[in-house]
Amino acid sequence: MIGASLFPTVGDSEERANQLILWLLDNIIWPIVLLAFVIFSVLLPGVFSSAQNIQFLLFSSAALGMLVLAESLCLLSGNFDLSIGSIAGFSAMFTALFLHEWFPGMPGEVGILVILLVGATIGLGNGVAIGYFGINPFLQTLAFFIIFRGAITILSSLSVAPLPGAYTFLGGSTIATIPGLGDLGPLSNVPVAILVLLALYAIAWYVLNYTRFGLAVYAVGGDATSAKEAGIPTERVIVAVFVISGALSALSGLLFTGYLRAATPTLARGDLFPAFAAAVIGGISLFGGRGDVKNAFGGLMLISMIQIGLVQLGVDAEQIQFVNGIVLLGAIYLYAIESRLRARVLSE
Amino acid sequence: MASADRLAEVADADAPIIEMRGIKKSFGQVVALDGVDLTLEEGEVLALVGDNGSGKSTLIKTLVGVHQPDAGTISIRGEERTITSPKVAREYGISTVYQDLALVDTLSVAANMFLGRTPTKRVGIVRQVDWAQMNERAEEILRTRLNIEVDTTKEVEFLSGGERQAIAIGRALVTDPDIVIMDEPMSALSTDSKSKVRELVRSLNDEGITVLLISHSLDEVFSLTDRVTVLDNGRLVGTVETDRVSKDDIVQMIVAGEMPAGADG
Ligand SMILES: Nc1ncnc2c1ncn2[C@@H]1O[C@H](COP(=O)(O)OP(=O)(O)O)[C@@H](O)[C@H]1O
Ligand SMILES: [Mg+2]
Repeated sequence: MIGASLFPTVGDSEERANQLILWLLDNIIWPIVLLAFVIFSVLLPGVFSSAQNIQFLLFSSAALGMLVLAESLCLLSGNFDLSIGSIAGFSAMFTALFLHEWFPGMPGEVGILVILLVGATIGLGNGVAIGYFGINPFLQTLAFFIIFRGAITILSSLSVAPLPGAYTFLGGSTIATIPGLGDLGPLSNVPVAILVLLALYAIAWYVLNYTRFGLAVYAVGGDATSAKEAGIPTERVIVAVFVISGALSALSGLLFTGYLRAATPTLARGDLFPAFAAAVIGGISLFGGRGDVKNAFGGLMLISMIQIGLVQLGVDAEQIQFVNGIVLLGAIYLYAIESRLRARVLSE
Repeated sequence: MASADRLAEVADADAPIIEMRGIKKSFGQVVALDGVDLTLEEGEVLALVGDNGSGKSTLIKTLVGVHQPDAGTISIRGEERTITSPKVAREYGISTVYQDLALVDTLSVAANMFLGRTPTKRVGIVRQVDWAQMNERAEEILRTRLNIEVDTTKEVEFLSGGERQAIAIGRALVTDPDIVIMDEPMSALSTDSKSKVRELVRSLNDEGITVLLISHSLDEVFSLTDRVTVLDNGRLVGTVETDRVSKDDIVQMIVAGEMPAGADG
């Protein structure tokens, strides 16, 4: 260059080191997942690390995984959604009644469309209220959390079953039942839900990192005013985020229904907290614009491993809650340290 | 090119490139603009000056669609237009450097510069953000137009105040605008960097780009601009030709809110 740059950059090795530390802290979930896996494998030799157990781990995380994804998306956009579990439960019960009582004989494929539509519509309600009318997301989604949990008991106080095979297929079948796939040997016992889980995280990661919509979600979550001034239609982005969140919650309801082979009145009740915890443990910031869904997947794996590992160790459910709480607190402190470090690096 | 199309649509080639008439804007009880007129002639550099809180930023945010006016009209090349968002303004060839810079700290330099106009490429059936092109073009714009070298993949939060200002200015040049609006672009800069931005304003103007410059520095106003529009407390004091008034005249307009004696309006 001719002459020194008039906007001097401070690109020295110390800064590089700091950025490396921040990057490591951003992705800290994976060493933790690995550590937890090793610990449980040692405590439960020959059991925990078996292929069958890993398959069960993924299978039983699939439905919760959709809620984690729904919550992560909302958090990244600078919002949050307390209604995801209620949407999962309500859409599952509504659609089960639709298939079982209101329109018996309706093909299960129609049920899949119905459940996604119900979830997306409820999400639209959240999105319009928050994006266009400026309602506080906490209050809006708290109201929907209560309303739709209550609406389930108005619909039915009993479990609804049986449901068409095509409807429970995604949540409850193995890939051997996919027509025309032939003999897959040992893989044929892999549940379809695992494929759904992996595929949706892959798609979400791609969309968030490689599409204009994904970039807009990060921008709105990072700084909504700046995003708007830069020409991002922030209201529409927020509506889209909640519609997708609603549809993912409904997909969770569909997977739970297949897993349980019935729509139960308590379906996905109490899953809001673990979904939230998994996203936060996976480094999705509560303040928006920071985080990565692949790490939220790590958070999901950690929560699920603790759940399954402790059950296999004979720990009872109440005590598992205690451990979950400790893990969440640990994660919160860890990310608090990270943001302090970030602030220190930034102020240099 | 897009700008040639825009020119081809013109009915009235003599009309000002921008004409705002009777713009009013209130925020609750605060009247930020009380019937302001502003005219921007094609190819000129116009200064917009006035005390803090006189409504300069609100006026340009109303022009580019961040705010909607409560009353008044906006015409572009003689045609009355409703500008509903900064994106629409950009489609009319208007780029803006906001006073608050409007950067998203958590995004990279390149992502910020192309925010809302991200280049994509076709991959199979999907349109995917073209990060490589984005990084490369961002780097090129910053290097050639502002003489600054930054890692465009770095998050903006890691940059200094001067660098951030440069990114915000660079962003306005991404779309090959006809009109560049700069709201106090030099406020956070060192003396050296200021002269760099002055040079940029001159070279943009040499390329035929119309510039609206909001500034607190009378030196800048007198060395760069053709005309000066003065606001006082949400009202238009008047517009004068820069080389027909003195600095004292401008100060008097800003402070007293009155046209200087003998100046043509
Ligand atoms: N978004 C807003 N909400 C409320 N008041 C605002 C807003 N923007 C500007 N104002 C008020 O409008 C007036 C004009 O502000 P501004 O246009 O920023 O002035 P300037 O850019 O000339 O310093 C000030 O009184 C300011 O407080
Ligand atoms: Mg201002």
